[in-house]
Amino acid sequence: MLNRQPGNRTLPTLISLLVIGLLLMTFDIRSEGTGVTSTLRSGAQAIVAPLQKGAALIVTPVADAFDSMTNVVSLREQNLALQAEIDELDARLVAIQDDLALFEFYEQLYDLEATGSELGRTPAQVIGQPDAFDGALIIDKGSSDGIVVGQPVIDTSGYAVGSVLQVSPGSATIVPITVGPSGVAVAVGNQVGEVLPQVNTDDMRLELSEAEEPVFAGERVVTSSGSVRFPAGIPVGEVIADAAPGNDTLNTQVRPYVEPATLRLVVVLAWPPDPITPLTPDSTTTTAPTSTTVPEDGTTSTTSNGDG
Amino acid sequence: MRTRSVVTVVLSLVLAIVLQTTLFSQNELFTPDLVMLVVIMLCLTKIRPEVLLGVAFIAGLAVDLLGSAVLGLRAIVFTIVAYLALRTRERADIGRLITGIWAGVLTFVGVVLLVLIGTLFGQTVLLGEGVVELLVLVPIANLILALIFVPLFVRVVDRDSTAFRYA
Repeated sequence: MLNRQPGNRTLPTLISLLVIGLLLMTFDIRSEGTGVTSTLRSGAQAIVAPLQKGAALIVTPVADAFDSMTNVVSLREQNLALQAEIDELDARLVAIQDDLALFEFYEQLYDLEATGSELGRTPAQVIGQPDAFDGALIIDKGSSDGIVVGQPVIDTSGYAVGSVLQVSPGSATIVPITVGPSGVAVAVGNQVGEVLPQVNTDDMRLELSEAEEPVFAGERVVTSSGSVRFPAGIPVGEVIADAAPGNDTLNTQVRPYVEPATLRLVVVLAWPPDPITPLTPDSTTTTAPTSTTVPEDGTTSTTSNGDG
Repeated sequence: MRTRSVVTVVLSLVLAIVLQTTLFSQNELFTPDLVMLVVIMLCLTKIRPEVLLGVAFIAGLAVDLLGSAVLGLRAIVFTIVAYLALRTRERADIGRLITGIWAGVLTFVGVVLLVLIGTLFGQTVLLGEGVVELLVLVPIANLILALIFVPLFVRVVDRDSTAFRYA
């Protein structure tokens, strides 16, 4: 039997450490994660990141194989559903390509030039999470890859994921919008509001102030131009319950398109664009004239009059 | 604490942090809190209680630094768990199953404290989807790992091959 009772100094030690812990918490909250605490976090990440990357190289295939074995039945069903989705998306892609060609045609016709719409993108692999409770994601790219705190993060399909909380030279921590401390400014149709995280669910609460029209299940929620965390137009999720405005406000539920816990790859956007970097002076863009033809059978084809 | 013990403790904590943030973060069913488990298992060794509380605090602080929740939260939780473990550790070596249950119960207390204190300090990042399930799954995972690893861990840290033979 163990017979090592705690000594007389155990309780004072406990109390001292608890006081230090509380002071740290207060300091961290008051400093809003900047200053000394930010430096400490970056330092700790810089030390552990190489180990995490090494471990991720080994354990990710093992974990994926284990997941595949345990989910083989659901994977088959998922494959069928995904195949159907691919067919549907292929059809939409053809339509979008046609729209794009038409858009370019109008651009040329009216001598328009899109500027500033090309955001720098840094793809990154998710190498882990701090622990089971912490919803943050750790990625394998950091400040040496141009990532800075506050940048928005999307998934490979372009859906909103979250924003960068901490960054070290070789890694960064992302807080998903589903658990983030603050909401995201969004738009539903022509109404604007905010989506907020909720406890024990990935679904988010949509609040539309000054709402004038009802919203319906299935309506798309995108980031609004009033967002300081995301560029406008990034898809966030879809409304899952009809709701009508009451006293100028409207509350309903939104299911995000992204399930952060399942992400393996993300894309960090260099947004807002660096205001110091000047646009290329007198840049001229030569675009081959494009025409869209609609044959009699109703199918659409795009013809480039350039070297193609 | 001897140099070898210090090295063993540091290595086990680093290994726990790396495995927790990589391997076990990708599994939804088996989700142990490895760092908390190492802290609990350390309380069964011959290391002085005051030192153990310090180790628990630093281990929690390390996880805090790597996570997104407020700094000091896990440091407090791990220190309290270590204190409770030190106060009750004489009951842990009755049998292997009891050791596992003891570690599981302490983990449960730890994760409940984590969620409670986190809620009080507005840490929504800890309260995402499945938080209620995790309050059960994490202690069970730690219980299973404790059943398997406690005797070996204590023998390695204490360099005492007779420890935890459950006589």
